[in-house]
Amino acid sequence: MTAMPAWLARAASEALRRFGPLLALLLMAAALSLLSEHFLTLDNLLNVFRQSAVNALLALGQLTVIITAGIDLSVGSLLGLSCVLAAMALKAGVPSAAAVLLALATGAVLGALNGILFTKLRLPHPFIPTLGMMNVARGLALVLTGGFPISELPSPFRFWGAGAVAGIPMPVIVVLFFCVLFHLFLTRTTPGRDLYAIGGNRQAALLCGVPVDRRLILAYSLSGLMAGAGAVILAGRMNSGFPLAGVGAELDSIAAVIIGGASFFGGVGTVLGTLVGALIMGVLRNGLNLLNVSAYWQTVVIGAVIVAAVWVDVVRQRAAPGR
Amino acid sequence: MRNRRFISFLLVMLLGGAACSRSAKTKKLDIVLVTKALDSEFWQRLKSGAEQAARQNPEVRLAVLAPEREINIDQQVAILEDQILKRVAALAVAPAGVAEIIPVLEKARAAGIPVLIVDTDIPWPHRAGFVGIDNRLGGRMAAEFIVRAIGGRGKVAVIRGVLGVATQEDRLAGFLDVIQKVPGIHFVGAQPANSERALGMTVMENLLTRHPDLRAVFATNDQMALGAMEAIAARNLTGKIVLVGFDAGREAVRAVLDGRMDAVVAQFPERIGERAIQEAIKAARGQPVEKFVDIGTGLVTRENAHEFLR
Repeated sequence: MTAMPAWLARAASEALRRFGPLLALLLMAAALSLLSEHFLTLDNLLNVFRQSAVNALLALGQLTVIITAGIDLSVGSLLGLSCVLAAMALKAGVPSAAAVLLALATGAVLGALNGILFTKLRLPHPFIPTLGMMNVARGLALVLTGGFPISELPSPFRFWGAGAVAGIPMPVIVVLFFCVLFHLFLTRTTPGRDLYAIGGNRQAALLCGVPVDRRLILAYSLSGLMAGAGAVILAGRMNSGFPLAGVGAELDSIAAVIIGGASFFGGVGTVLGTLVGALIMGVLRNGLNLLNVSAYWQTVVIGAVIVAAVWVDVVRQRAAPGR
Repeated sequence: MRNRRFISFLLVMLLGGAACSRSAKTKKLDIVLVTKALDSEFWQRLKSGAEQAARQNPEVRLAVLAPEREINIDQQVAILEDQILKRVAALAVAPAGVAEIIPVLEKARAAGIPVLIVDTDIPWPHRAGFVGIDNRLGGRMAAEFIVRAIGGRGKVAVIRGVLGVATQEDRLAGFLDVIQKVPGIHFVGAQPANSERALGMTVMENLLTRHPDLRAVFATNDQMALGAMEAIAARNLTGKIVLVGFDAGREAVRAVLDGRMDAVVAQFPERIGERAIQEAIKAARGQPVEKFVDIGTGLVTRENAHEFLR
């Protein structure tokens, strides 16, 4: 490390941060295309994108929260509850567009409630309110349905999860739309940039006049909103609002964000990285499925990838001078 | 075989280099069995029966895959999507959901892949056939045993698996067919425990708190029954509460043998798996497939339990 000029080390470290996850994704894709003749086909790549879509949406929301040095454990349950409410509304004859809005609103409002509980009740860590919400929302989803899935949804609603435009599956289009939106929000708007400031140093952000509480509530609300969007996609794809939808999804979304290079300590993280993180998980699962590797091995591999991704980041930070 | 493939995959990931291309030149008949999970003896035995059938047909290449848990329906859908893409010769599926699984089965149909349904029947008219048991009959057998064991009087509860799935609904429906005709029996309800052992124990603890005078419990699979058994034992109620399970895995049969459980409705998962693959092979070859194959059930009690341990 001493042999390397400081500017070179910094540039290498920066390149690794920006492109490390992407490089890993490409290496993985290259390896899988050698191992399975089915991997590198258009149909399969669309499969990967479709299968990664819900996690990618949740991860975008999770990213905005992790940037603020927070965490949102409730996204999987909010997805389940939004799923169920939308399906119930559809069964009651509510038009599809309104059911979509209901799912999004459910997520956003309960997400905002997470933020309000965290900031206004001064709970010690976002872990607490979102853990509470995780249980409350899941419980409500089960209570409302009595545990039964609500299936056979109308096709205009299913279009969002199962339809396609010009051969491109709707879930992919929805993910790309939100990626662009979140990228612009996080990099080009004051509230978005404030989130990085809060994650970097909350006290300093407060002293600089950032309305910290309002921004945090916004971040959690966006995370909830993405859970609602994920619900629309999943319910459409599965033709069902099932109360156990999204069990464990919060951990997958956190994994995608971390694999994508965001820091748990806040202030660092990009939309591109997160999207790549979600795709790495999707490619791994898909590739291992194609190779007929059992789901149990898949969790082992994904666990190892999470640790490896963070380890690379730690090594990078140690190597980077002046940090 | 699977391990070797997996290790070579890891090597490639680490080295980032080329891998040996492992292409089978002979034309193989690819059959894929996708179960709800592989985390219990039932599924493991079903799998071994399937592998047995595959061994008898050297041209068949069988893969058995499953999501991590029975509630991970989306993971099962993803596995099926990936297999459909590989244009396998036939799929045998134990559906983790009902309506949730049909869209992806339609994709299989569009790709011309015959789908055989295993264990849990679904209302999908295009299935090549069904191999499993009459779950309603199994539920009735459990109920008849309980009615006899408690002399037709007292409180009875059910611990059940995921809601909305045919196997579970049918077992419960069969159970209620019998129970509700007996005036002395008070049915206190069916509590879900997702077919998992730990949840079965929790639910049983709650039932015992709520109904200290409970006389009998029917758990709609072994795992939940074994969990419930622990909860009953923890309160020193073993032998005082009649406990009946479903599936008859070794652990449950042994529990019946030494009196910790009273009876268990037996399935014969090896036979289900074996027959499923035999039918799937027929489907793959375009031969006629039987539409509904009932493998049959039995009742394990202390008198005959030793026969089931062989």
